[in-house]
Amino acid sequence: MPAAAPLSRRAFLARIGVLGAALGGGGLLARGLLAPADAATGNPLLPPVVDLIRPVLAELARDTLNGLTVFAMPGPDPYSRTQGTPSSTPGALESGATDFMIEALDNFVPFPDAIAQPISAALVTGLADSGIALPGLELLPPELRQLDRALAAYLQSDEAIPLSFPIAGLLNLMATQVNPLAVSGVHLSPFARLTYAEKAAAFALIEKTDSDLVALLDVHFPEPLKESVSGLLKFVGGALIEFATFGAYSEYGVLDKTTKTLRRRPVAWSLSGYQPNGPVEGWDDFIGYYQGRKEVHD
Amino acid sequence: MRDVIVIGAGGGGPVVAKELAAKGLDVLLLEAGPRHAKPREEWSTFEEDANNPLSGYFRLGPTDRSKPAWYREWPQNSFVWQLSGVGGTTQHFYGNYPRAYPGVFQGYDGADRNEYDVKHRFPFTYSELVPYFEWVEATMPVMTAAMGTKEQVFFKGAETLGLPVQTTKTTLRPSYRPQENAILQPGGTAGKTSDKNLLNYPQATGCTFCGYCFQGCMRPNGAPRNQFAKRSTDNSYVPMAITANVWARGGKPAELIADAYVTKVHSEKRNGELTATGVTWRDNVSGDEHREDARVVVMAGGCTENPRLWFNSGLPNQNGWVGRGYTDHFFDWMIGSFDDYTGNPKGVGSSARLDYPGYGGLENVGLPPALNAFSGTLSDSGIRGQYKNGRGATGPWDGPAGRVMGPELKELMAGGIDRLLTVLVITDDDVEAQNRVTLSALPADENGPIPKVTFKQRKRTRRTVRNREFMARKAAELLRGAGAKKVYRVDWAPLILHVQSSMRMGESAQNSVLEGSGEARAVKRLFVADNSALANGLGGPNPTLTSQAVATRTAEKIFQTYFDGDPWVRSEAPVVSTDPRVSVRMGQLGL
Repeated sequence: MPAAAPLSRRAFLARIGVLGAALGGGGLLARGLLAPADAATGNPLLPPVVDLIRPVLAELARDTLNGLTVFAMPGPDPYSRTQGTPSSTPGALESGATDFMIEALDNFVPFPDAIAQPISAALVTGLADSGIALPGLELLPPELRQLDRALAAYLQSDEAIPLSFPIAGLLNLMATQVNPLAVSGVHLSPFARLTYAEKAAAFALIEKTDSDLVALLDVHFPEPLKESVSGLLKFVGGALIEFATFGAYSEYGVLDKTTKTLRRRPVAWSLSGYQPNGPVEGWDDFIGYYQGRKEVHD
Repeated sequence: MRDVIVIGAGGGGPVVAKELAAKGLDVLLLEAGPRHAKPREEWSTFEEDANNPLSGYFRLGPTDRSKPAWYREWPQNSFVWQLSGVGGTTQHFYGNYPRAYPGVFQGYDGADRNEYDVKHRFPFTYSELVPYFEWVEATMPVMTAAMGTKEQVFFKGAETLGLPVQTTKTTLRPSYRPQENAILQPGGTAGKTSDKNLLNYPQATGCTFCGYCFQGCMRPNGAPRNQFAKRSTDNSYVPMAITANVWARGGKPAELIADAYVTKVHSEKRNGELTATGVTWRDNVSGDEHREDARVVVMAGGCTENPRLWFNSGLPNQNGWVGRGYTDHFFDWMIGSFDDYTGNPKGVGSSARLDYPGYGGLENVGLPPALNAFSGTLSDSGIRGQYKNGRGATGPWDGPAGRVMGPELKELMAGGIDRLLTVLVITDDDVEAQNRVTLSALPADENGPIPKVTFKQRKRTRRTVRNREFMARKAAELLRGAGAKKVYRVDWAPLILHVQSSMRMGESAQNSVLEGSGEARAVKRLFVADNSALANGLGGPNPTLTSQAVATRTAEKIFQTYFDGDPWVRSEAPVVSTDPRVSVRMGQLGL
């Protein structure tokens, strides 16, 4: 693959949220940490920086998924306020839906590495030349080269890539397509900076499977996998919404899996009035037989 | 050498196992997933614990829940709700046992005979199947559903549609009725109290109205396994199969092995004909492979897994129909919100229905919060008020169809989950060759190449689309008639339940995999006996009864053809699955 021009690489890393999360205002990585490592070793694999970048990517994923779960169920949190739909009653963050998503994506979705790895690599290395102007870019710091190489080293290592990272990258990429200004601002993630309507617009793009995105992803896959990758994106778009909603309305955050008991009343139960006194063995809701008929025959 | 190996202990396999074990055959029943022998210890009533599709105890995966679920490729916005484990998808079903409409069978001559999927009829008549319907109905046993508040609300709406009440087993015309369901009717204190101290067996018998059908039935507390209210096959046919020696004269208990993933059906040429000879299965825990021979092999792994196993076994697919014609009743989902109490999360998940032969049907469905929310957000029409995905139909519901989510869903749920009534729209859908299972090009798992389930959601036939629109309108009218202040239409993306006919039997060798006997056209001594064997989508009725009736008939054909035996359904009386001899034996076995 031809080396992407530094400016477009920088734009791309900004779009998937990595640049801002690592180095932007309130970023997680001290800028000084990158330069000395590069200068000191000249090692293209930059191992100390790889260690530094791993938690950055995890935090970026969490921030992005916060933006997703409040999209499914808003609450009194800052993400819901940014989204423009604050709510006075507990929502997805209080119900633990973000942890539900991260646990599901990173530990339980049996997504084959053989697919996850190239998609991650494609997202991080292949989608640079978007042609979209990013007005906030000059505000972001310039330590691109080192960060880019650290990310590349991480993705090329033997480590399994947590699925939450490429998913976050996808959402952030779509976010900056919907609103280029989302490249910087409050929160770490461009997706989390969107309004509710903009998040919906980002999902509209995923559902119709933005053709440029698929074309760029698909260059990494031989036939017959190309169609599978575009189909997979359509599935992922739907599943992210449905799973985030399931997680927000389930007992995930308060269920003690060892004792199979609830530590507290689940958010959704309080909201909806479900099972006011907790789990039951039965209800007194049997009111007879319709028209008194207990059996039928031909 | 076994007499019969049955692959899969879901809705269909245990029927064949039970019937043939009762005749004294040596039957091995293999199940890829877990066996929940002690539900009170293994289950709870929580959606996260039960129904998390990745880690719940009802998922597609091995017994060890710290291991990932089995990955399947779905190349579209869809959700395929597969379950592994003894009982299969009947573990979370609602026990609905309507008969297929007569119009989907060969020889039907009613005035509406051209209103069905006439290209894909069953290769025998409705009256041919009636004795098998009756046999299964008596075995389960099937009963007329008891009524709770949500059924009363549904009936209030149905009464406004100008249709008669159906009072027969066979559906002859548009009508509504309580479900004929495989749920034991409430007895004693069941359904009359919510005091758990008063809901122990035998003080309480049958359905206690707990509302946990989707999380698995283990009630009443203390009841023998074969007397749990919901007649999923882990409570009905499986207990009978493994105790066949105590309730059937000359019966021999079937052997059940769980966590045993069948990876290959073996075959060889005998007298010039390809013939099944046995299977290889893999122990999910140890990884050890086992091979065993049999006189007859029965596939009952479901609509997705049967084609996968067929392809991975290298069996021939001469007309290309293995895995094709996968029907799903092209479901839709309607939500009504009410000012008054509807009892939505209580009682059996669904105890009222409306049938419209030639079009499909409706049934009420009560769900707990997370599944309710999930159901409201699975759509092919985008997000209501935001984007429509090229669809977003309008009609007698409020606003465009689409996901009810975010702030709107929260507001709806905050009105009270017991002020909702949800209706499942069930479409009489055509068998379509394009909806199918193939092998995926994604990486194989330890059991071989994985299946890919393709649904061309927007390319259904004109008749299928017409039927879904017709029934969605009826659902809106019903909800309004019942008093709903607001009605939402979700326009579901494929939620692939009620799956049928991917290994279909048929009149023509050109578009079917099985003979009418259930035997594969291409492989002797290989039978299919679950929903995938059905010839079509039945016109809309839930498939379990018809699958089990056909499986019972298939068991007779196996016994007659390969074991020189006589059929029994027309000459003997069925034993009911709640028989105390089964209870006692299950107790002795510690099950």
